[in-house]
Amino acid sequence: MNDNSELTDSAVLSAVRHSISGLPMPAAPRLEAITARGRAHRRRRLGGLSIAGAGACAALVAGLAGGGGSAGPAPRHHAAPVHLAAFSVVTGPDGATTLTLNWGQVINPNAVRQALADHGIPALVTAGEFCRTADQPPPGVGEVAVFAGPHFLPIGSPNSGRPAGTAVVIYGSKIPRGVELSIGYRQDPRNREISFSLIQAGAPLTCTSIPDSGPHGND
Amino acid sequence: MSHEKTEFAEFFQTSWEPCLRAVVASTGSVQLAEDQVAEAFARAWLSWRKVRRHPAPRAWVVRTALNAGASWWRRRIRELPLAGHDAAAPRDVDDGLDAALLTALRHLPDRQREVIALRVFLDLDIDTIAGHLGIAPGTVRVHLSRAVTALRHELSPSQAMEAG
Repeated sequence: MNDNSELTDSAVLSAVRHSISGLPMPAAPRLEAITARGRAHRRRRLGGLSIAGAGACAALVAGLAGGGGSAGPAPRHHAAPVHLAAFSVVTGPDGATTLTLNWGQVINPNAVRQALADHGIPALVTAGEFCRTADQPPPGVGEVAVFAGPHFLPIGSPNSGRPAGTAVVIYGSKIPRGVELSIGYRQDPRNREISFSLIQAGAPLTCTSIPDSGPHGND
Repeated sequence: MSHEKTEFAEFFQTSWEPCLRAVVASTGSVQLAEDQVAEAFARAWLSWRKVRRHPAPRAWVVRTALNAGASWWRRRIRELPLAGHDAAAPRDVDDGLDAALLTALRHLPDRQREVIALRVFLDLDIDTIAGHLGIAPGTVRVHLSRAVTALRHELSPSQAMEAG
């Protein structure tokens, strides 16, 4: 504590402003990410199951269209945010969990899986292969995960001057019981790819070195 | 693009940074604030017809972001046995924020912190803040004065020199 009793009120407010104004702020996210998030709110409010807006991201990975199903366990809001060099997992006040991957670091799939599990998201995370089950459960993965968020940057973005990263917003409460989110990625700098799909927990997996057909993120 | 969306896009682009700074001042974490402000803008879009007529739409966004954050923090404090420990607060590493000042900001009562955010980072005058919060202008002045008194002693000597 310091003796600043001589300072006027406006000087104190000016100092507070100055302490924050020098700090570089992250750029605004894409407008489409914000409006998609708003639409997701509206859908949840209405209890509907319409397909997620394609504008959220052109690189949204192929999912499964379909109907309802009982929702899985709600995300554990009290789970502490995870911030590692390779990835971060943060659950916001609305229950949406943001997974951010830093392609400049080696990403440990088991660590990602554990962090997501701590945030209430059952996931299979694989590096170098993309796994699915024969029966692909509803709802569409577009209801569960969208590329969006403040840190969104297309995968790769060579020579962008910023670290290449991907932010994905995951709505864990929309994952039905007995279903997991399968996340597969490849870190080859010449051919980065990431793919999301929903799979039946415990069912036999089919894993390939390339994602199934359909939109997915790649360089 | 519809007229509504064009209007919202302009508001979003010009308001993102000031709103984010206001919320950073309250949360002490750029990353947390970023998510809360994104959430608030998403809700603003959802209620754009109402928000666009608000006398201070940026204040609406900041208040929504802070409310979302407050409910999140309340849950954390209730569920974690770390209540009261600053170590429980998410902090951005090397974020350049003044730790003592931010801790002081975060320890202000909600209403005082909100008044600071609206006054300092959105440049709203006392009457507009009062209208937005639904309280008397005199009450706003009291909140501001108490907050300033609390913060005054947390300024480092160099900050005090710059401010003075």
